[in-house]
Amino acid sequence: MIAPLALIGLLSLPVIVAFYMLRLRRRDVPVGSTFLWQQLIRDVEANAPWQRLRFSWLLLIQLLIAAIVVLAAARPFTTATSELSGNVVLIVDTSASMGAVDPEGARMSLAKDAAHRVVGRLPEGGRVTVVASDQTAHVLVSDTDDRAAANAAIDRIGATQLPGDLTDAFALASALAARDSDSTVVVVSDANVARLPSVGIGAPVKVERVGTTDANQAIAALSVLRRSGGAQLDCFVAVSNPSGTSATRRLELYADGTLVDARNLTIPAGQRSELIVPTLPAEARVVEARLAGSDALATDDRAYALIPSSGATRTLLVSAGNVYLENALALLPRLELYAVAPGGYARALADATAAKKPYGLVVFDGFVPSRAPNVPAIYVSPASSGGFGKVGATIDGPAIDRTAPNEPLLRFVDLSTVHIGRAHGVILADGMRSVVSTTGGKPLVAAGRIDGQPTAVLTFALRDSDLPLQVAFPLLMSNLADFLLPPGDGVLPPSASLGEPIELALDPSLQSVSLLDAGTTTTISLVAGRGVIPGATSVGIRELRDPSGATIGRTAANLFDPAESRIAPADPTRIEDMGRGPSGPAAATTPTRAEWWWPLAAAALLLLTVEWLLFHRPTRRTLGRLLRRTTRGGAGGGAGPSVPRSKPGAA
Amino acid sequence: MTSAPELARQRPPLFDEAFLRRLEQLELASRRLTAGRMKGERRSIRRGQSVEFADYRNYTTGDDLRQLDWNVYARLEKLFIKLFVEEEDVTVHVLVDASRSMDFGDPNKLDFARRAAAALAYLGLAHLDRVSVAFLGDGRASSLRALRGKGRTLELFDFLSADRRERATGLAAAARDYAARLRGRGPLLLLSDLMDPGYLDALRDLAGTRCQLSVLHVLAPEELDPEVPPDARLIDNESGQGVEVTGDADLNDRYRARLGEWQAEIGAFVSRRGGAYVAIPSDLELSDLLFDVLRRRRVVT
Repeated sequence: MIAPLALIGLLSLPVIVAFYMLRLRRRDVPVGSTFLWQQLIRDVEANAPWQRLRFSWLLLIQLLIAAIVVLAAARPFTTATSELSGNVVLIVDTSASMGAVDPEGARMSLAKDAAHRVVGRLPEGGRVTVVASDQTAHVLVSDTDDRAAANAAIDRIGATQLPGDLTDAFALASALAARDSDSTVVVVSDANVARLPSVGIGAPVKVERVGTTDANQAIAALSVLRRSGGAQLDCFVAVSNPSGTSATRRLELYADGTLVDARNLTIPAGQRSELIVPTLPAEARVVEARLAGSDALATDDRAYALIPSSGATRTLLVSAGNVYLENALALLPRLELYAVAPGGYARALADATAAKKPYGLVVFDGFVPSRAPNVPAIYVSPASSGGFGKVGATIDGPAIDRTAPNEPLLRFVDLSTVHIGRAHGVILADGMRSVVSTTGGKPLVAAGRIDGQPTAVLTFALRDSDLPLQVAFPLLMSNLADFLLPPGDGVLPPSASLGEPIELALDPSLQSVSLLDAGTTTTISLVAGRGVIPGATSVGIRELRDPSGATIGRTAANLFDPAESRIAPADPTRIEDMGRGPSGPAAATTPTRAEWWWPLAAAALLLLTVEWLLFHRPTRRTLGRLLRRTTRGGAGGGAGPSVPRSKPGAA
Repeated sequence: MTSAPELARQRPPLFDEAFLRRLEQLELASRRLTAGRMKGERRSIRRGQSVEFADYRNYTTGDDLRQLDWNVYARLEKLFIKLFVEEEDVTVHVLVDASRSMDFGDPNKLDFARRAAAALAYLGLAHLDRVSVAFLGDGRASSLRALRGKGRTLELFDFLSADRRERATGLAAAARDYAARLRGRGPLLLLSDLMDPGYLDALRDLAGTRCQLSVLHVLAPEELDPEVPPDARLIDNESGQGVEVTGDADLNDRYRARLGEWQAEIGAFVSRRGGAYVAIPSDLELSDLLFDVLRRRRVVT
């Protein structure tokens, strides 16, 4: 008991009994005549100060009430063990998938309920740190034993549209756990987290998994290519169905807000549907894709893309003849393609310089010049070493290793069905990095900067692979072209992921610019024309304006995150394995105190009600009359004459 | 004669017009043929002027020669006087116990008894009976005698609605007082709670008048079904004295049992004297009393 001194109140019990034994102050009750009563009453103890204690339900109930109230005042409790340790880091996942709506309710609400329960299970004197985690960690309450403050902080949490990343939250939890060995990390999440830190933390990790549904379809990709000549736009859309059942959704495309295409797509479970829509008007500037209707997650049901302008870059293809490359490059609307055999490369370069029409990009197919061009370049199947690296032995039948999910060069590129017959073993020079590797770590696709010029390498010949026969090829070439020749308006990239900050390099005379995002305007301060736009928090078009109000750049912010669109709750062990198991018995035996004064108080209230009903006679009589009247009214309608009472002496 | 609508207009709403009209349809039962002073609508033990033949008797000097039966004289040469049943009125006595114990209950017993008495007396007036009403209390009877005809209704109602609540006890003395001064036989209706040590004496005296005694035993609902708390002091409304009762779960049950026995004793006592006993709760509707209870008990027909 927390307050055992309150048990002194039990002394009230004999006092109550004494009151019953004392001669009571009787209530005056008027009667017409005591003529009959006097024949009944033989109260021989009427004049004694004490009377014999008689059994009385009223006395019993009052003694019970007094005992229960005293017991409740002593605050009894039971000691239980809590699986939580004294220091709890509570991480609440607020990534986009947590914005799903499950049949049981909004997933974020379920998560907050679970978080409240964790706070309720804290051991006596336990402390909690509440962290909301989307792409980064946000500490809401730090190391407090104030459960009300923790619960209030949990109530303030809301789901975001950002991709999830527990790296920051785990780093923070690791730091907190390092300060206190008696720590537990609790993650409230659907366990569907794409990115986890590579290093575990030195405390047990428990996952409170929430969510049940997987019914979601998403726009997985949206881009617009301008065909050669720039007169026609091709819109590439991919709609994925990560759920376990086939789904039919209506895809609508809007150009500058006007519906230009709508079609129903049936997507098998776990598959995605890709299509190219060639019907966009050439003068359109923004295209928006929507999935009509609703599913569990609304964030990925719409996407935006900016339509590139029609300016073209002179591109020289140095090849003995490669129809795949020619076609792929010719399809890229930003390139104006010229081709030359390797023998004519030097002359073509000289002619262009003389004509003051230099090439902006050179693509070498199976040929490496002695001196790298002073422009961005792509090397396909380099036969010899160059500035990009040293070419070594040939690799036969290389298997493609897993690729980084956020690699911008592989955006929308699905290499899972690509096979490569052989490739050159290339040791990359400094400044180059591998984008696609063999399982042995040899680069297949690499990119980087050589002498300040963007450079890309494909270490295999296209004819030795089925890549040119797949949709991935033009997309890869498009991405490489975007890397080598930054697209867009030159101020902002045409597309960015949610939460991805964008560096600005503007006119040094500009002191600040304003960012229009989802109806709100934010001022961005610049230093020597440089600054950073914080990552977008919602899907949509963002606009950058100079101080005069003129638009100087635009970008589209989209989710495009397969991990977030796959809203089905995942296996939590992947997260739990990040922590160490509970060491020793201490973690399972952390004492927690459960007070149970409130059921006692409820019992006292119930007894009080019973006493009132049983012993407050006017109330009982009124209730009885009401009951009789109701019964009589229901049986006979109450229209007949009153029925006289039957009297024993009326015979 | 005052009509029912006029009564309803002139008097406080003791009874409404429809109720008065229904009253007129009733007739007080008279189980005995009693001698009256004036011609009425009831058979009398006197021989009189009606057309209904009753008997013969010898002629004596001074008899009305118009009553001689000349046909019998022609055959037998003896003088006989023909006797006819004479229809005469009777006196209806309505006695209301006005002791303080009656001034109790919800509805009030005395108020109920006044209304019942007024209704019963009005019945008598409506049938051309002689009506005598009286309040019993304070050891004596204050009465209003020899009312006859509906024209006296206002007088009757004035008498019954007068304030009588200050009267003390003394039911036996008051009954004896009334019985001693009683004139005219007929139904005698006593409305009382009988909460008086001398109640048997009172009943005995009234039964001894050779009137047809009907005891309407008026009790309040609180007296029929009491809810006395476990520890209480019962204050007598009549004497102001208190009686203490101590917590006893079946006290109320024992009271009800005793009440039943008491009512049975009274019923038996009255029956033995040829009277009728009717126990009446004061929350009984007056129409139910007159048209149902008293009819079944043949106090009215």
